[in-house]
Amino acid sequence: MSSSEGFDEIEYRVGNFAPVLRTPLDSPYEISNELFAALRHVLHDVGGQPDLPQPYREKVEEEWEMNAYVTCECLGWRGVWNSEERRRAENDLGATLYFGLPYYARWATVAAKVLINTGQITPDELSAKIDEVRARLEKKSA
Amino acid sequence: MNRTFGIGDRVTVKNATSMFHTRTQAYTRGKTGVVVEFRPDWVIPEDEAWGRDTPERGGREEPFYVVRFKQKDLWPNYTGFDVDTLETEVAQRWLDPAKENAK
Repeated sequence: MSSSEGFDEIEYRVGNFAPVLRTPLDSPYEISNELFAALRHVLHDVGGQPDLPQPYREKVEEEWEMNAYVTCECLGWRGVWNSEERRRAENDLGATLYFGLPYYARWATVAAKVLINTGQITPDELSAKIDEVRARLEKKSA
Repeated sequence: MNRTFGIGDRVTVKNATSMFHTRTQAYTRGKTGVVVEFRPDWVIPEDEAWGRDTPERGGREEPFYVVRFKQKDLWPNYTGFDVDTLETEVAQRWLDPAKENAK
């Protein structure tokens, strides 16, 4: 498909013209059934939603991304969870975290949560491990 | 569970309330298409998503179908060709016989 010169730039500018139609949600006292249904919508079900063209970018997979992927697959083989549980857990992060996190950061986040939920690790063990690794990496780069 | 639909049957996706996880896309709800392929019996995603991923763990297996929709039926403002179609997998519980068959 051909595109005119500066197409991406035009799309970007047009995108910024578009008004942001949004109803602020601030824990309202009452909501309609229609809003409740919309809030329950499964986040990954994006078919038919309007969006702007995105520029195509080549991106190789980084080591941490493949590590996250392989770790999640191994957890599946060992019966900790299955891929449908992972998808549900990602949707259950809510829109802010779902769209705020990189793809494999979503995987890693919900993998950590399922490990806590199933009693394989505790949040403090995970936190301590992160601090330990961070200290090790800082030492290495120093 | 026995299959209740055959290849070529016209089916309508139920516009049912779904509490929490489902794989039945919002844009197919209430839309009518045609069964074009049988898929094996699988645990429904509504169970699998909560760890009930085998019959032993309470997962309910049922027949799945590939349903073919006309794009023009799915999207009111579709600007493509009349012959354009979309196929997706749907569990039997989400399908009703199309009303037009009853006439």
